[in-house]
Amino acid sequence: MVLKKEEPQDPSVAFRYPRVITYKHSLGYQSKFAHALKMGRIIATKCPVDGRCTVPPRIVCPMHHVRQTEWVDQGQRGKLTSAFKINFPMFDSRTGELKTWENPIVSLELEGGAKMDGWCAETDTSKLKPGMLLEAVWRPPEERKGRVDDILYWKPVEK
Amino acid sequence: MTHHDKKSVADIPEEPIVVEVQAYSNFLVTIGNTGNKFLTEIRDNKALMGIKCPSCKKIYIPPRTHCPTCFARMSEWVKLSGKGTLETFAVVRYQEPYMPKEAPYAYGVIKLDGADTGIVHMIGGVDLNKIKVGMKMEPVFKEHREGSILDIEYFKPA
Amino acid sequence: MTGERIAIVGVGQTIHKSKRTDVNTAEMCAEAVEAALADAQLTIKDIDCVILGSFEPADGYSGPDKFIIPEIGCVGKAGFEMQNVGTTGGVVCATGFNMAAAGLFENVLCVAWQKMDEAAGAFGRGGGGANEYWTGQFPMSPITNFARRTYAYMTRSGCTEEHLAMVRVKQDQCAQRNKYAQLKLGLTVEKVMNDFLLAWPIRRLHMCPTTAGSAAIIVCPEKRAKKVTKKPVWVEDWFTCHQGGALTMAEDPTASTLAYACQKIYKRCGITNPNKQIQAWEVYEPASTAELRWMEEVGICEDYTAWKLFEQGKVGIEKEVPFNPSGGVTATNPIGCTPVVRVVEAALQVRGDAEEHQIPGTINRALATAYGGQGENVVFLLKKSL
Repeated sequence: MVLKKEEPQDPSVAFRYPRVITYKHSLGYQSKFAHALKMGRIIATKCPVDGRCTVPPRIVCPMHHVRQTEWVDQGQRGKLTSAFKINFPMFDSRTGELKTWENPIVSLELEGGAKMDGWCAETDTSKLKPGMLLEAVWRPPEERKGRVDDILYWKPVEK
Repeated sequence: MTHHDKKSVADIPEEPIVVEVQAYSNFLVTIGNTGNKFLTEIRDNKALMGIKCPSCKKIYIPPRTHCPTCFARMSEWVKLSGKGTLETFAVVRYQEPYMPKEAPYAYGVIKLDGADTGIVHMIGGVDLNKIKVGMKMEPVFKEHREGSILDIEYFKPA
Repeated sequence: MTGERIAIVGVGQTIHKSKRTDVNTAEMCAEAVEAALADAQLTIKDIDCVILGSFEPADGYSGPDKFIIPEIGCVGKAGFEMQNVGTTGGVVCATGFNMAAAGLFENVLCVAWQKMDEAAGAFGRGGGGANEYWTGQFPMSPITNFARRTYAYMTRSGCTEEHLAMVRVKQDQCAQRNKYAQLKLGLTVEKVMNDFLLAWPIRRLHMCPTTAGSAAIIVCPEKRAKKVTKKPVWVEDWFTCHQGGALTMAEDPTASTLAYACQKIYKRCGITNPNKQIQAWEVYEPASTAELRWMEEVGICEDYTAWKLFEQGKVGIEKEVPFNPSGGVTATNPIGCTPVVRVVEAALQVRGDAEEHQIPGTINRALATAYGGQGENVVFLLKKSL
């Protein structure tokens, strides 16, 4: 565990108590989404009232309070709606590591209509324009864990 | 966009998944000036100091700055002998992470002579099966002290 | 609305700093409680209910009321803890108001705190993303969320980085007149525009600091309030609106639930012209650039035009739009406690007791808000007379 704060020397003034806590989260209804990611697919639940698709999927529509039982494949491409790059070291909450982040994060509207975020292969943010088409580049099947970062990054589609 | 083929989702499994996620924490605890005096007296003078409330006259150890009963600010320090009576204890026979000792060990609440409160600490220097409520206790200090409550290694029967 | 009419009879806060090595968390809360009791001229014996809270993951404690309560002399009194990320202080106050309005208690103490010099970066989990498991891989934080929001605001409104810098300078000028504020930097537009870039367009100076601070208010039902003080600040109404993530992020990436909450509260209280009917604003802005959109959401001006008010120099303590006269969250942000600071500052404005940063003229109504997570809001409307 790497945390960059100067260690206090005098426990009668202040002290630290480092801990690692392991949580076990049940995905429940979202398990299907995780299985789909392992298969290289992005799926979303669709609201029966307004047809909006949500990623990550939800068992109940947050706006209309009805069960969403229809799943829709979202395709492999998305339109860029926003992009930003982090210019300072930030903690990776998965490892406790303080590190720098080379790739921008992009917000996309997928082919099926759902919206999601992802890492972008293009590190020059001046080349990213709202509306441009990006496609998913996946990890090799044996490395996928059923997490959103099974999509390694999104890459601009060659014209 | 033309690439979207509405593929069927029927072949995607629905088995429930449980994921393990690890959280790392390394929080800092600030003692404050009152607690600092308590700990430095232990470190430098092997002395246990209580603090006295000016209005209800209670003596608290470990000390705090405000009286919990009447909220008055306290500043009168009282040196205690360090000896006391064992109010209650527990013998821990299972292993938990981040504990100061390996099981089995005992810890308890000792009401120090002269104080109105009990102090929680380890119990040692005695057979774990022979500890009894009401025993007279006294602190055993470590040779090398840093300014922490663990500068007292344990309380043993006096 | 049924229930007792209620008023704030005393307020207190610590002088906010980035580090407090002289006191532990509980002692810091006790300072705020002492200040509120002195302001109300009450003693701790008068208090019959205590509502407290802080954003626990940031301080690393679980169930901290166990060690805060003894230090603030409240052993044996009724009450409990409330918590919810950035809106923690807001839900603490709202709960305290409910306890007084229900007629169950005569003197309710609400206290919130945050001691961020003790945090260790674990706070990035959970609170930042709409779903911990799916967004945990992203460095979600207020910085990146507001980078995204501000970028979208700029493309839709046509404002420039210079306008964002003007907002920050206004905050600093107000903070310099507030003895409790933490950051007083003597900023200029040029200094802000050339500051270290965190994530475009957010520069380090645009973001709120980490703070160690505490604040407390004392609330009484009507009869008791009139006995305790000659200057009660009446709580006209409050509204809470959560789940910003589902409601707004997908649709309008610049907005939060603030417009929705304000529409509801204005309708209930007959506010049809906010600029005329509300004279003081303490609206929680986690990044100074958020002020632009929040000014529009509370109804001060049309959507995507707030930047023009800054360009025309119309925002400031003595100006047409007295927005965040205390210096706002940009100058001081002890997370869980910040909304209570907003309520304290709004109450001081209504009473005319804000000293150097007092808005001139009679303050009949003040709006104070709490903001958290993905766009959750708690909105309070305070007024001078019933």
